[in-house]
Amino acid sequence: MEGIRSSTRSRDLLRKIKEFTLSILEALSEGRSPLIFIQSFRTYCTNLDSICSCRSNKPSGHEILTFQKESHVHRIDVLLRVLLIVQQLLQENKHASKRDIYYMHPLIFSDQSVVDRAINDICILLQCSRHNLNVVSVGNGLVMGWLRFFEAGRKFDCINSPNTVRMGEWPIQFLCLLRMLKVTNKYLVSAALYILVVEKESVFQRLENDKFCSKNRCIVITGRGYPGVPTRRFLRLLMDKLSLPVYCLVDCDPYGFDILATYRFGSMQMAYDAKFLRVPQIQWLGAFPSDSENYDLPKQCLLPLTIEDKRKTEAMLQRCYLHQEVPDWRSELELMLQRGTKFEIEALSVHSLSFLSEVYIPSKIQEIKSICQV
Amino acid sequence: MDISSVQKLCIHLISSAVQRCRLSEDLCRLSVVLKSSPPIIRVSISDTGTGSCLEEFQDLKCNREGIGTEKWGISDNKIYHYHLNLRGSVSARRLTRLPSIPKNDAKFSGTEMLILKIPSVAAELLIERGDASGLQCENVFLPNECSPSNFSSSNVERLKSGLEEYVLKHRNSLNNKCDSCFCSRGKLKISSGVACSMESHRSPGLIVEAVIAISELSESLCFRSSGNKTEVLHFKDFSPSSVSIASLNALTSIDWRSYGLTLVSAVDQVDHALIEWENLPPYLHIDMVIHCYHKQYPTPCSTIQILVITYPGKYKYQPDRHLIRKGVKLALDDLKEKHTGLLLSAHAVKICSYAPDLASSIAGIILSSNDLKFRSKCSSLLELSQSQEIGKQTVEDRIKEKIISVIETNDRKPEKIKEAAPFLFEDDRLQDLDPADLYLEEHEGGDDVFSFPD
Repeated sequence: MEGIRSSTRSRDLLRKIKEFTLSILEALSEGRSPLIFIQSFRTYCTNLDSICSCRSNKPSGHEILTFQKESHVHRIDVLLRVLLIVQQLLQENKHASKRDIYYMHPLIFSDQSVVDRAINDICILLQCSRHNLNVVSVGNGLVMGWLRFFEAGRKFDCINSPNTVRMGEWPIQFLCLLRMLKVTNKYLVSAALYILVVEKESVFQRLENDKFCSKNRCIVITGRGYPGVPTRRFLRLLMDKLSLPVYCLVDCDPYGFDILATYRFGSMQMAYDAKFLRVPQIQWLGAFPSDSENYDLPKQCLLPLTIEDKRKTEAMLQRCYLHQEVPDWRSELELMLQRGTKFEIEALSVHSLSFLSEVYIPSKIQEIKSICQV
Repeated sequence: MDISSVQKLCIHLISSAVQRCRLSEDLCRLSVVLKSSPPIIRVSISDTGTGSCLEEFQDLKCNREGIGTEKWGISDNKIYHYHLNLRGSVSARRLTRLPSIPKNDAKFSGTEMLILKIPSVAAELLIERGDASGLQCENVFLPNECSPSNFSSSNVERLKSGLEEYVLKHRNSLNNKCDSCFCSRGKLKISSGVACSMESHRSPGLIVEAVIAISELSESLCFRSSGNKTEVLHFKDFSPSSVSIASLNALTSIDWRSYGLTLVSAVDQVDHALIEWENLPPYLHIDMVIHCYHKQYPTPCSTIQILVITYPGKYKYQPDRHLIRKGVKLALDDLKEKHTGLLLSAHAVKICSYAPDLASSIAGIILSSNDLKFRSKCSSLLELSQSQEIGKQTVEDRIKEKIISVIETNDRKPEKIKEAAPFLFEDDRLQDLDPADLYLEEHEGGDDVFSFPD
């Protein structure tokens, strides 16, 4: 998908938009309601009895939008409005954010999620990814470490960029915002040994403070909570181009686990594009429920799971991919539920501020490496 | 039969006379003569139909106060003349209305009689005033006054033409069609529906005919007493009848919203049901008539029994509300089918409200495209001439027209066909999902909410 030149792709999408419009006009001129087929995709199901096809990248079904239901007509209305905007963006080779689009008809759209769904519908209809529509979102993630890349004519040097130096005396660790538009292979340079994905910005800052990247020759990325599309695309790109091991460090709670699952399997909302966004190679570094004993976490650092936490955990345990692909992850999640406690990564700092970067992460990576060697 | 007013008695007598004419299957003459010799008015009803018998009238109970008959005799001779003499107090009241009597009387004889038009019967109304002028007016109603109905037309066709005439004459308050209101034909839309129940050992097989007329009187100056409430006239076995509970139930249980109407109430007004609508445009008037009769309603060979009809007890003679509702719904569907945009369901009206927006977006996509070939292809699909420069409004209007026409066509299809097809493969994805997950998914993609400035 990345290989296709953008102008060719734009032309292709514009052709599809015209075909779609003609199909509507044809139906109308024959006195029929247009039938708009929207395939539905999912990253998982909860049907554990039979072998599902959630991992096949194939649609799990489809919806047909017609003029018969009011909810459908409203959805078609929003879809057409967004499609008109997309057509203009593609023709003029301009870019807009989802938020820009929302503000073009805020009263009709009423909520950002309505626009998001229309964009997803259009991607499914035209069989493309969101950025192909020239609809972009501003990156929310952060990256630092042994990496240099060029994007939209600008150089992002995560190692040597003077304007991103945060810690004056350590010119190797740097921070730059992920701004993802078009990153191609020849503009990406790295000498890192692995990529570490962390859930939270606070942990990212801790590692930056501890000069983790320079000491360990790695790249550290955070999506700051649930990762957005640019962060995941960027990580996927690094994966595809650099073929480095990827480790993921999240809180030992249901949300941390869900974030980990989002990196690995993709989100339900963007399920139609999951094959371009997920990172199946990602390995769970921690924190595991058993870490509380293995690393002598004091009792007061363990928080009880709330009712909401338990409900979420139970629901996640039903996901088919955990059964089929990572039963060991699922066992850890079950263990969390059994113990009824959770803890944050920062709790490991109870021993010392640099415990995370000096002891915990290196020991965990060593552990995974030794398992791999066996 | 309990008769409580002069008008009802007259209606009863006249409809009996019509029955006799109807059953004779021959050309008949029905005369209603009003003889006024103050303070008494004499109503005489005569017909040349089949013979009647005394039993017909034995069950007729007259409310003394309401009618105040002095005496009325039945001369069971060969020409079947019945005379009704009215006492002074009542006749005096009737006399005060005399200047307009030709119309008013046309109403009471015409209202009910002409709706059930029988082509073989010519009805006449004679009014003799016994005052000094000795004025005598004569009015002969021909059954084919407004629209031709011939001997072979079905009962429902005759009912239809009867209602049409009734509406065109403003519920028979005029002698002739109201030209100011109904100057063009399109202003009155009329349809019928017939529902039959199967003949079985429990039921004799019933027929319900419903006729509905919708008139659009945009700038009517004519006075109409019931506003735009709907009068639902009732007939049973070819005679005017009271409103049955089944019929009221049927009227209230119809899903009027699927015809774009909102029912406020349907009340029994004895000789008709009165329906009140919510938000019915003031120019719209709906008239309805329901006629229920037995499939094997007495044929001429059993003439003597007709007017004292008795059915074996095992027969459920009253048509149930389902049959009445079916008849009315068929008539409504027929109207909808024949007249685009009429009786559009509330749902379709709502969907139509999206048409301008949809049209505007589609027109936008067409006209902002820089592909001229695509644009001309669209123009030809929209049947717009390609020679001249086409404005956005023209394209938009044409698309809007087409969208609305599709929605209207859809609305006319029966419910079952509409619902079945598109949902055969409906996805169950959302049912599978944990609601909490869905909530989180919402946030997942919404990364712009916390975005940094560029």
